[in-house]
Amino acid sequence: MTIYNREAFLDRLSERLGTPRHQMDKEPFIHRNQLPEETLADLSSDELLDLAKNTSEALHVTFQVTDQTGLPAILDEYLKRIGAGQLILPTEPDQVADYQLQDWIDTVAKERTVKYWDPKADRATNLATSQDSMVAIGFGDYLLAESGTITVPTTPGQGRAFNFLPTHYLSIVKRSHILPRSTQVTKIYDDKIKSGELVTSNINYISGPSNSGDIEMVLIVGVHGPLDMTYVVVNDR
Amino acid sequence: MGIQTSDKPLLERVKESEQDKFMQASVAKAQDAQHIKREDSRALLGNWEQWRELGEQIRQRALKYLPDYLEQFSDNVEKNGGDVFFAATEKDAVDYIEKIVKETGAKRIVKSKSMVTTEIDLDKRLLAMNKGLQLMETDLAEFILQEDDWDEPTHIVFPTLHKNRDQVREIFMKLGYEGDNDPMHLARFARKFLREYFLQADLGITGCNFAVADNGMINLVTNEGNADLTMAIPKTQIVVMGMERIVPTMNDAEILDNMLCRSAVGQKLTSYVTFEKGQVAGETDGPEHFHVVIVDNNRSRALGSEFQSILQCIRCGACMNVCPVYRHIGGHGYGSIYPGPLGAVLSPILGGYQAFQELPYASSLCGACTEVCPVKIPLHKLLIEHRRIITDQRHMQHGLNNLMMEAIGIGTGFPWLFRTAVRFGHLGLKPLASKGEVHAENFIKPEGSVKGGPGLVGGWADVRDLPLPPKNKDSFRQWFAKHKANQPQPGDQKANQ
Ligand code: SF4
Repeated sequence: MTIYNREAFLDRLSERLGTPRHQMDKEPFIHRNQLPEETLADLSSDELLDLAKNTSEALHVTFQVTDQTGLPAILDEYLKRIGAGQLILPTEPDQVADYQLQDWIDTVAKERTVKYWDPKADRATNLATSQDSMVAIGFGDYLLAESGTITVPTTPGQGRAFNFLPTHYLSIVKRSHILPRSTQVTKIYDDKIKSGELVTSNINYISGPSNSGDIEMVLIVGVHGPLDMTYVVVNDR
Repeated sequence: MGIQTSDKPLLERVKESEQDKFMQASVAKAQDAQHIKREDSRALLGNWEQWRELGEQIRQRALKYLPDYLEQFSDNVEKNGGDVFFAATEKDAVDYIEKIVKETGAKRIVKSKSMVTTEIDLDKRLLAMNKGLQLMETDLAEFILQEDDWDEPTHIVFPTLHKNRDQVREIFMKLGYEGDNDPMHLARFARKFLREYFLQADLGITGCNFAVADNGMINLVTNEGNADLTMAIPKTQIVVMGMERIVPTMNDAEILDNMLCRSAVGQKLTSYVTFEKGQVAGETDGPEHFHVVIVDNNRSRALGSEFQSILQCIRCGACMNVCPVYRHIGGHGYGSIYPGPLGAVLSPILGGYQAFQELPYASSLCGACTEVCPVKIPLHKLLIEHRRIITDQRHMQHGLNNLMMEAIGIGTGFPWLFRTAVRFGHLGLKPLASKGEVHAENFIKPEGSVKGGPGLVGGWADVRDLPLPPKNKDSFRQWFAKHKANQPQPGDQKANQ
């Protein structure tokens, strides 16, 4: 944990700028408008859901909405569509309990290999498990209506590569966690990081499957990350 | 590669670029496609002009207090358990990175796309220093360029715009690909090929779209997923950032991400927007060792000068997507890894006038770049400023203006530039305003002349406003022909008044 060459470097910049260092706090930074906060802020819950669905589908996301009781059937149908192959799940007991998924997991485990991103395992094991998994079913933290984005802070039970190495990916997210835009969610994370409530090294904002236009600008869906993406919004009110 | 990709004179490079018809057609196609996507996404957001003002304000604030924000950022990286190296020169940066590579004993490096690492020629220097090292660019386009013997990028967002699918197929065949030229099949091959590398990588190198001063996180904006794998799998990560990439807060980064994604590719957000730092307790992947290299490499020449605003740039590429000269000569014509209007301003600052004194002349000064820039950099004014310095202080031959114009077909009886303007209309599309149809007149000031406008009809360096074209979207050419007929010609009586 070292900082190299800082003082001379910053002094030189200060000299170029023609202003002394450490003046910043004298001039508080106030944004000249509140458009990031105001844009789409007046949408109702139904409008947010509609917008989230439209934007997600435009990104080639399969978007489904269900009540708690319908969730297992949706997940069954999804796995059937994906076909055979290992399933990886996060180690998130609170979320599993919240969505009442334990019985469903027990049943699925009888038919296919179910593995976990394991906080007690080492890097190599978790990476290998993710790589060997045909499909990941994870928990999204928030869903952003404007951009069709799920947000996923890395936790010990749902690591970074969980979201990138498996071939197919489904994210479960609560309907009450649909927000208008990235501005609202970023503010939440910023506050939680600063207060110490959120301790994470990484926050992913994921909008649909990976893609590229690098060869003749032809859109290719599915490059290094998952080839496809499904969001399941669960009514929780 | 370094900043300079060719030491041939500009006119020679232009001539060479003109031979590449595929490149020209690709650039035109890309410009048109991006125009529609960009303007649609901005219109959908609404209030674009006010968003630009906010973007400009954030970037100007970061530059005004750059030393303070860099200090705050580096303190926070250190608090988070990382190392920060301030590199005044490209050599300092490369030496430090080489030291980390040696200390960690890394053998397999994966990299995600980063302009600044191309600028400091990092890949080739690392490979030259350490024969046993394997280093793989993992962004699809950068991977193609690397496997094609480190071909030059042609665009900052679409580096392989000049390559067709058959060329990509040929490149991949050398790696064992046996399929057809379908881009999907080619991309799947790259996915499989690179996945093997990822899984064994021991060190990752990434760039950084924005660095967040008040929490020490970096912010990356990508589409393919390779950058996130680069940050997830190896135990060591080195982030290389131009020193101006700093922003005050996460929300400032997020605001600029929204503007960047819309301006670069017409998306609301790209597939992956990530905030990250080194691993925290309890996590099993992500970097255990996290280094940030903050690079000056002559950026500080712009600070406190008339060119400071170029450091506001968020590398969206929009200015090249509207530039008629870029459309004609493509990225390679500029001889810099930073092409287009951005490159014509930035390259002489980073690489010096000796190498790049011709570049400020590779512009029609139509002002479309300035109009489209999401953070309001007055690009065409900065080009004029470069020309002034070059002419006044370096006594460069003034005739380059006209030679360049002739070389790319502008300044002849029927300017190519104006034909382009007719065909695309977007050269002057006023980004925000236009709720209705695209009008050529949109690039005209309300009071009836081309903005800030150095004359297109006269010489390059003349600052002379053009009259307002007629209000329609289809007769720019007719307007120009008619207007030109009424113009005083050198030597006639009116001209001497
Ligand atoms: S100069 Fe402006 S338009 Fe050009 S790449 Fe930079 S931010 Fe984008």
